Amino acid sequence: MTEQLWFTAILNHLFAGPVTAFLRRLHIEPKYPEAPIHNAFAMELLVFLFLVALFLMLRAQLSVDKPSPLQQIFEMVHDFIEGQSQEIIGAHSEVHTPFLMALAFFILLCNLIGLIPGFESPTALPVVPLGCALVAFLYYQVQGFKHAGPAYLAHFLGPSDKNMSILIRVPLALLMLPIEIISHLARVLSLTIRLFANMFAGDMVTLVFFSLVPLGVPILFLGLHIGVSFLQTYIFVLLTTVYLAGAVGEEH
Amino acid sequence: MRKSSRLFMLLSLLFLAVPVFAQGGEAASGVNWVAITAGFSMAIASAVCGLAQAKATAAAAEGLARNPAARPGIQLSLILGLALIESLALYTLVIIFAKVK
Repeated sequence: MTEQLWFTAILNHLFAGPVTAFLRRLHIEPKYPEAPIHNAFAMELLVFLFLVALFLMLRAQLSVDKPSPLQQIFEMVHDFIEGQSQEIIGAHSEVHTPFLMALAFFILLCNLIGLIPGFESPTALPVVPLGCALVAFLYYQVQGFKHAGPAYLAHFLGPSDKNMSILIRVPLALLMLPIEIISHLARVLSLTIRLFANMFAGDMVTLVFFSLVPLGVPILFLGLHIGVSFLQTYIFVLLTTVYLAGAVGEEH
Repeated sequence: MRKSSRLFMLLSLLFLAVPVFAQGGEAASGVNWVAITAGFSMAIASAVCGLAQAKATAAAAEGLARNPAARPGIQLSLILGLALIESLALYTLVIIFAKVK
């Protein structure tokens, strides 16, 4: 039996039967049938439930005249993300703000939850940042198709200059097509590895210094982990905004 | 003519090294080259990453000194640039954790 956090143990105790039956119906055999839910999934679920409860609580106390501190914090984050996407994407960028805010809060809380003893960061496993990166990738591709229709595929042919002759433009487009496809896939890879490696390296470094000097020094690295969590969340959202701008932005 | 004949004589000595291939893999009792290479490669990646980030920060500081009104744009570019450079060093770390036993 693998090591489980207390929250994972509770979830497995309650839901192991149905989850294993469901997985078996999909022809997936869980490694430990009595504990099919692993730590990362349990932590993600916890973050999700916490965020839903937080947003419900916020919605219940929304007020125009006397905003509560919670509302002010959320308005601050909302204005920040909206201003940034306005700067990068340009026109009609407000429709993307809910998605970017949800992404930002989810990744931030997933990163920070590892600081609390008894919990671990789900983003310290490669699959969770991969999920976030795939969500961001699918979102901006779908937005690109919604914005331009099938003409969005012209984005994959690279830049084209109408002044050049057709003899040059066609081979250039054929050359750019695999390069563009690979670069789009490399965006998923880089988003994943950047988030995963930062969180994982933070854990490793804290462990190493904990094994060297158990008292006092790991606190510095936990503080660094807090800073890195915020920075990596910001970078993830910023890069998603930049990719959105590439997909949705107006060509001048 | 003499120089090239000396070179060829030297190169022909290398054929004496062929019997080494008959030994077969002996990594079990030998040195753990993977770990040593991992240490060196991580050090090189971090060093070059540090140099690149220093250049980026210096350029951002100078730009800010010349034109303090452009602070939002310069700050954005700086943070984005630093994070992208950092991620290159982190790719090396990921390979190390994937390959070193």
